Amino acid sequence: MENLKKAAEYILSSLKDGGADDAQVSVSEGRVEEFNVDAGEFSLIRSVFNSGASMKVIKDMRKGTAAVNQLDKEAVDNAVAECLAAAETGVRDEALSISQKEENLDFVSGALSPDKEAFFRSLIKFNDDVKEQFPEIMLEQVIASYSYGKHVFANTNGVLFTEEDGSYSVSIMYSAHNEENVTSFNCAAVDYLDPNQDILESADIRIMFERAVKELESKPFSGKFTGTAVFSPACLCDFISNITDSFAGDLALIEGTSPWKDSLGKEVAGKDFTLSVIPLSEDIVCGEKITSDGYKAENYDIIKDGILQSFCLSEYAARKTGLSRSPSTSGCVRVNEGEKSLQEIISGIENGILVCRFSGGEPAGNGDFSGVAKNSFLISDGKIAGAITETMISGNLAQMLKNINGISRESVNYGTCIMPYAAFDGITVSGAN
Amino acid sequence: MNDYMKKLISEADSHAEIRSQTSRTRRVSVVGGSLVGNMSSVSKGIGARVYKDGVWGFASQSKCDEESARQVLKSARENAFLLNSGCPKNKGPLDNAQSVYYSEPRAFIDVSQKTLVDFAREVDSYIEKKYPDLTSRHVGLSTGTIEKTLCTSEGSFAYQLFPRTYMIVSMSAEASDGSNIELFDVLGGGEGYFSDYYSDPVLLFPQIDSLYHELMSKKEGIFPDAGETLCIIDSGIAGMVAHEAVGHTVEADLVLAGSVANGSIGKEVASPLVSLTDFAHTAFGERAPLPVYVDDEGTLCEDAVIIKDGILTGYLNNLESAKHFGVKPQGNARAYAFSDEPLIRMRNTAIHPGDHKLSDMIASIDKGYYLTRTQNGQADTTGEFMFGITMGYEIVNGKLGRALRDTTISGVAFNMLKSVDMLSDNVGWDFAGYCGKKQPMAVSMGGPAIRCKVNIGGR
Repeated sequence: MENLKKAAEYILSSLKDGGADDAQVSVSEGRVEEFNVDAGEFSLIRSVFNSGASMKVIKDMRKGTAAVNQLDKEAVDNAVAECLAAAETGVRDEALSISQKEENLDFVSGALSPDKEAFFRSLIKFNDDVKEQFPEIMLEQVIASYSYGKHVFANTNGVLFTEEDGSYSVSIMYSAHNEENVTSFNCAAVDYLDPNQDILESADIRIMFERAVKELESKPFSGKFTGTAVFSPACLCDFISNITDSFAGDLALIEGTSPWKDSLGKEVAGKDFTLSVIPLSEDIVCGEKITSDGYKAENYDIIKDGILQSFCLSEYAARKTGLSRSPSTSGCVRVNEGEKSLQEIISGIENGILVCRFSGGEPAGNGDFSGVAKNSFLISDGKIAGAITETMISGNLAQMLKNINGISRESVNYGTCIMPYAAFDGITVSGAN
Repeated sequence: MNDYMKKLISEADSHAEIRSQTSRTRRVSVVGGSLVGNMSSVSKGIGARVYKDGVWGFASQSKCDEESARQVLKSARENAFLLNSGCPKNKGPLDNAQSVYYSEPRAFIDVSQKTLVDFAREVDSYIEKKYPDLTSRHVGLSTGTIEKTLCTSEGSFAYQLFPRTYMIVSMSAEASDGSNIELFDVLGGGEGYFSDYYSDPVLLFPQIDSLYHELMSKKEGIFPDAGETLCIIDSGIAGMVAHEAVGHTVEADLVLAGSVANGSIGKEVASPLVSLTDFAHTAFGERAPLPVYVDDEGTLCEDAVIIKDGILTGYLNNLESAKHFGVKPQGNARAYAFSDEPLIRMRNTAIHPGDHKLSDMIASIDKGYYLTRTQNGQADTTGEFMFGITMGYEIVNGKLGRALRDTTISGVAFNMLKSVDMLSDNVGWDFAGYCGKKQPMAVSMGGPAIRCKVNIGGR
């Protein structure tokens, strides 16, 4: 860590010497050990050793940024010169700033060295388990990696944070096959700390594989109805990401296009809905410790009991809009569990769909969305009626949150977010014909 | 650098590649007049990959010297041998690697950050003054060059530059129902440096005016009727079909994982009017938008014909899959960063033009839609696709009618291609995107306007 601190000090002093009023730098080193499976067979081991420095300078309220992935003097000096030159060309902007000094801290978390052998064994076991227990499942691609990083954040206000962490992750793309049929692919991903972790029993991977096998009997959906869509935890996670970007993110608030721009303190969702950013939760694997602005990260609520509590804003966007900076810039989110089981929620749905993957375009600024419901099942008279293909769903994200039918008490921890199943009324479901 | 890389790779005891790479990027982003992005970056390093009887080892470092090169080759070899001992495939050596030589004739040309900022601000200033009724505007200018030097154990040597520059302008306006309507376009640019494409911002103003007028018509637009409909999809969307809905399904790694194209060589998958090729460096007699001459396994790049006259004729391969299928590799193994291993990727994928005029195609439809712009698309290995449509018009009695609001089209690629009965005689390309498949990759896609049946999402 000392070499990174020295590099950070050198960069800050060089930027100051070059005329910067304020400067910040982030310097890092790390490694990745990765195993790949393609079409059910191990194909590659990859070792990556990386480093980098990214810097920001403010000069006469003009900003420049630069990044370089080498930490030798020549490369760093060139990046410093580029950064200063960029600031010279910048546009004066009173919202520019760097973080204020609070308490300098050192953070250490996770698995700081890889157990490559144990990790490899666990992956071989997973591959074997899938072949034995789910012969229909094709692991189209598995990317399993151990990542370790050291990181120093410093600025000319005296802020100095260090961070060191390491963790394992598995990302799986899979489909089901038999002699007659092939299903749509689906994906699963989980982060964790134990190299011996039983991957098949992680998150909801087993359940999703079981569903994929049932999808082999899927049929194209025809017709159209407005009903209830139950989103799987992974699918809900994608929708939440769209909602926070489109309604609560920097650009939406700076440009004033967010439908929520005047809704702080107001009801934007059903009263059972609470959405929090939880990078410091013990349930999250190596969550954010230092925000991208250079503050100690903290958990916070975006929506609590249906009421909008906070946007997801960087310090720049906060100063630009007069709103508050968010205590975390991470995407580690949690939707609180409800009281009903998934089964109970489904049993109350007359016409609906269980959506396990959504393939759609970016939602419009007003929240309108439409796309294909992949890996999905029709719900009819309180029961899952069967897998369907070629089915589109459409609705409006803002309206959807106000039309919550139920949130399950079961939830899934992916290591990066924690999500239940959630059911929303008023979703249009249509088939190709 | 070339000397020690050649020397080290020549000592390899199985197929191996070593690649040094420098990626330089400059980006400027002006949002509502504020310069929110003003950055440059340089990423440099060496990566090596070694093959052992059916498995690979890869390693990379961000240092570019002889010792680092030696270390990454050693680590890559250790990884390959570790995997081979734990999960042996016993496939024997790769025997289809080539020995080719290519050296880029051009030199790298940099541009100052000030030039980019001034240019982008002038464009933004024009939009601000001329169109004050917009609710938001965004001007993004990006230029980057990837410089690669590749040496392989079979003696291939390639030095290549991949420069790419483009400007994206997006704008939005409030519709009468209070919703925010958006539209974006790529203004100029292509394979090459900033100075190759941009001299005077004034030259872009007509395209900006056109974008604004499209946005205004979209603001008053309607939602299409949902269901399967006869449509004309313009070249940008045809390119998306070529890349997303067909191209990915014929990438041999996905074929081996069971894509819809598995086992379909020689079968009719499209109308006899449809031919589709992944072009290497020259397309329809002209330099392809993003030419590639030698891939990252040291294979000379050739065109890969995917569909000819409606018949599926081939897959996209790397060395390993070409050996598996018993075909000649055509240079589709590409790596994005120095720290990335080559994957099977497309290059310039396009549907071939036909012989109809677009105006005749529109006149041929009594009720349907002319879909002109797409923002994003996703496709499945089953061939099922979904594209977001950001601009289009209804066709009524052979004439263009009201504009459309954002909608979605979906379908199954091979079914949709079988419904094609007219293709326009011109080809349009999109070169500003990245394809995502573990790693990003600059690709281009194109095609003519196509008359076909497609499922349109309505509202």
